Amino acid sequence: MASQKIEINQEIPSVTKSVTRQSIDQFESVGIMETENIHNSEEMARERLGTDYILASGRMSITFAAESLRKFFGSEVFNHTGTVNLKFLRPVTSGDTITVYGNVVNQEKVETGTLVSVDIYCENQNQDKTAAGLGTAIVP
Amino acid sequence: MADSDLKVLVYDQLAIGEPLGSYEYVLTQKMLDDFRQSVGDPEAPFPTLAVKHDATALRMVYNDTTGGVNAGNEVEFFNPPIPGKKITVTGRIADKYSRRDKPYLVIEATATDEDGRLLEKLRTYQMKKPDEVGKKWHPKK
Repeated sequence: MASQKIEINQEIPSVTKSVTRQSIDQFESVGIMETENIHNSEEMARERLGTDYILASGRMSITFAAESLRKFFGSEVFNHTGTVNLKFLRPVTSGDTITVYGNVVNQEKVETGTLVSVDIYCENQNQDKTAAGLGTAIVP
Repeated sequence: MADSDLKVLVYDQLAIGEPLGSYEYVLTQKMLDDFRQSVGDPEAPFPTLAVKHDATALRMVYNDTTGGVNAGNEVEFFNPPIPGKKITVTGRIADKYSRRDKPYLVIEATATDEDGRLLEKLRTYQMKKPDEVGKKWHPKK
């Protein structure tokens, strides 16, 4: 993608992910501290949030958005200059299907290339936005 | 470290710029494989996201009895980590503020590897009244 011309309003590749209890547990298992939290303990989620379900970490949505952006910009660009900035709007939990959408909103010359900004959002199976924000990368 | 060995987190006493835990760990191939499987992306390059560097740094210093809801994340990618390499993380409190009568805490962590490569900078915006968010969401059945 880095060698191709990028246009304002151009859509980035969408990715769709099924979030399951297993995927949430596996994501949490990568951590280096074993702690009970709202992502792995229904009891903790109930106590702290009043919900009767665990939440998927927002960092899972960050990772989904990063995949879309990486596929658009290419690994060589995105893995070295990329950013993701998301606000979380609704909870994501086991059984949800999350799709990432995005389109280019700005391009700006910077010292090392062109800073390309992409509006991104995540939507669940009910077409409710679960997260929204901005991704960027510097295209040489 | 047992929770009893940690300072109890008192929001009003937190200082912007205050250092959090600094720590090292070795990224294993299993961590990378598990991360990639969990997010359904065989090329996902930053398992450090699942290690939650900033939250871990906070957890190493404070016993947070209130908890928080992750209201947002900002991440900057510089270089993908390499399995087998030691990663060094330094954390700090980047900001704290109130919005709509809700207290927010911004924690930040920067990760480098044993070769001095800058890997990732991660910030988390924690809303420190998690029960308020739970009420808004309406618990699912």
